[in-house]
Amino acid sequence: MKDSLVLLGRIPAHPDSRCWFLAWNPAGTLLASCGGDRSVRIWGREGDSWICKSVLCEGHQRTVRKVAWSPCGNYLASASFDATTCIWKKNQDDFECVTTLEGHENEVKSVAWAPSGNLLATCSRDKSVWVWEVDEEDEYECVSVLNSHTQDVKHVLWHPSQELLASASYDDTVKLYREEEDDWVCCATLEGHESTVWSLAFDPSGQRLASCSDDRTVRIWRQYLPGNEQGVACNGSDPSWKCICTLSGFHSRTIYDIAWCQLTGALATACGDDAIRVFEEDPGSDPQRPTFSLTAHLPQAHSQDVNCVAWNPKEQGLLASCSDDGELAFWKYQPSEGP
Amino acid sequence: MAGSQDMFDAIVMADERFHGEGYQEGYEEGSSLGLIEGRQHGTFHGAKIGSEIGCYQGFAFAWRCLLHSCATEKDSKKMKVLESLIGMIQKFPFDDPTYDKLHEDLDRIRGKFKQLCSLLNVQPDFKISAEGSGLSF
Repeated sequence: MKDSLVLLGRIPAHPDSRCWFLAWNPAGTLLASCGGDRSVRIWGREGDSWICKSVLCEGHQRTVRKVAWSPCGNYLASASFDATTCIWKKNQDDFECVTTLEGHENEVKSVAWAPSGNLLATCSRDKSVWVWEVDEEDEYECVSVLNSHTQDVKHVLWHPSQELLASASYDDTVKLYREEEDDWVCCATLEGHESTVWSLAFDPSGQRLASCSDDRTVRIWRQYLPGNEQGVACNGSDPSWKCICTLSGFHSRTIYDIAWCQLTGALATACGDDAIRVFEEDPGSDPQRPTFSLTAHLPQAHSQDVNCVAWNPKEQGLLASCSDDGELAFWKYQPSEGP
Repeated sequence: MAGSQDMFDAIVMADERFHGEGYQEGYEEGSSLGLIEGRQHGTFHGAKIGSEIGCYQGFAFAWRCLLHSCATEKDSKKMKVLESLIGMIQKFPFDDPTYDKLHEDLDRIRGKFKQLCSLLNVQPDFKISAEGSGLSF
């Protein structure tokens, strides 16, 4: 199992600082990293190694907590503890800050682009989630401020195909939002985690959502539409989400990030015990009660907390991770053929 | 004979009786003190919420006048959000503290106000205090 995850290379991406997050561009050719040194770095492949192609250091006054690429790959958004979100436009190897989104009262914790490319979501320690709309002239406008969570919101994520937004919070819940008559409303609250929910990931089909938490578990939630044959009750025309699987006993510390490979369906986790783990769904498991097995466990993947794991969207088995130790690492995941 | 039974009863149960009476008196006094304290608490918090919402309403009315003349598409978007905020405030049941969606509606009003400020490019700096608000834009 240890051989399933092989180290390809390590880079001191944000030296003397923490590397907080990583994001692959849609083409899978560039990797953006951000950190406590207030910068965003863009990494590209040159032969067998990864080199730093750009450094975006003039955008923020404090830690950059998350970065996200637009679906077209031409824009990069960076969310910072300085309460702003910068939008960078890519011009070959250069990035120019074209807008700075303000409004949150304090640290912005996450940013995410909707698959349509027209909407952006941000969330903050001020407990709110903001939805922004961008027009053809790159003008951003706030379309909704959602105050559903009762504590710090850690992560936002859009559904891969529906116009549905998910958020994870220090209040132990995951909330889902959709548009209703020109405004956004909270259409579901997923309860079950016993502590802060740190991150979220949708499966390739968008029917399932994975959440990871400070309670050291991963939960898989499934969407049930009204009139479903399993008899799961729905509220009016809103789908219901039910927890169909809980992965517990695998992680010894907080799970900070989770990534669901869109190519293979493998689930990777980033843990506070410095390890990276990969899970795969057991073939033939009941879709309503799936079971997952641990197929890779690499202790000491980093020398400190692993903050993020990210699957390359085009190259199967290529996984990137980053840590509080400021390093970025690349891994090849190859599940062993088995006896 | 019956009389002497009552007399002994009175002595034996005296402790319990005084306890009971004392409790009763205390409970009644506590209830009325509680009512007074609760009323003060409610007055204070009710005023705070009323003040906050009143602030938003005044802000919205003022901006409605300011934007009245403008007719660009951006302004009509702002007007829409403005009217939405005013509508939410006017629908809010100010006289029913037991309204079950009180906090939910309040949060929606606050969210709508923040969205409006973002569209108007105005940074409110509210200090809703007992002495009265200190607004600065």
